[in-house]
Amino acid sequence: MKNRIKVFRAMHDLTQENLANALGVTRQTILAIEKGKYDPSLELAFKIAWYFKVPLEEVFLYEGEVPGS
Amino acid sequence: MSHRLYNEAHMKRNTFYLLAGIVGLALVGIFWLSVEIRDPLLITVAFIAGVILLYGLRYRITDRIEDERTILISQKSAMRTIEVFWVLFFAISLGGAVIGLGAPGFSRPPHRPPDEGLIPLGHLGITQMALLCLMIFLYVGFKMYYARQYGEWDTDEEQD
Repeated sequence: MKNRIKVFRAMHDLTQENLANALGVTRQTILAIEKGKYDPSLELAFKIAWYFKVPLEEVFLYEGEVPGS
Repeated sequence: MSHRLYNEAHMKRNTFYLLAGIVGLALVGIFWLSVEIRDPLLITVAFIAGVILLYGLRYRITDRIEDERTILISQKSAMRTIEVFWVLFFAISLGGAVIGLGAPGFSRPPHRPPDEGLIPLGHLGITQMALLCLMIFLYVGFKMYYARQYGEWDTDEEQD
């Protein structure tokens, strides 16, 4: 799953540490999500989207196959 | 006053690791003392006390060290460790049960004296302890594997 957290961080002038502290996770988790090494839980994904005040699908992009298509 | 004491009791992650090392060394010393005075209760009680102390201290760490990703890493490592370990532990314990059931205390008609070549039961305790040590290595190995998979040691331009 791709994401645009880095872009949104840049837009809000935030470091990984700032964002991590605001969301209650470690900086390494933000880094792992940005690099695509870790897919966050639905709860954390919503928290990230809400933090940037945008819909979830603007931050996270699902590129897998859609079942039944 | 109590709030101040509570804050003072909090510590950094490295302080915790240092204390864990000291507790570990103390336990090694107590183990040898236990062997010297032939008192197994001493090391048993000391080990449980040491683990409880470390669990208690862990909650006083101020740096954030745990979140959903680290919990996932720990869960996966623990699951894989158990998957591998229980087979080894059960196999060795089955051997122990065979020796135990073959001993005079569990005599079955007709009673058969224990074979000379059988491992004494006390040795099984040492074997099981060695297996538990192996379990720790196994867990650390799996933890390193999953930590690497989930980007624990990745760096980027923001890294100090």
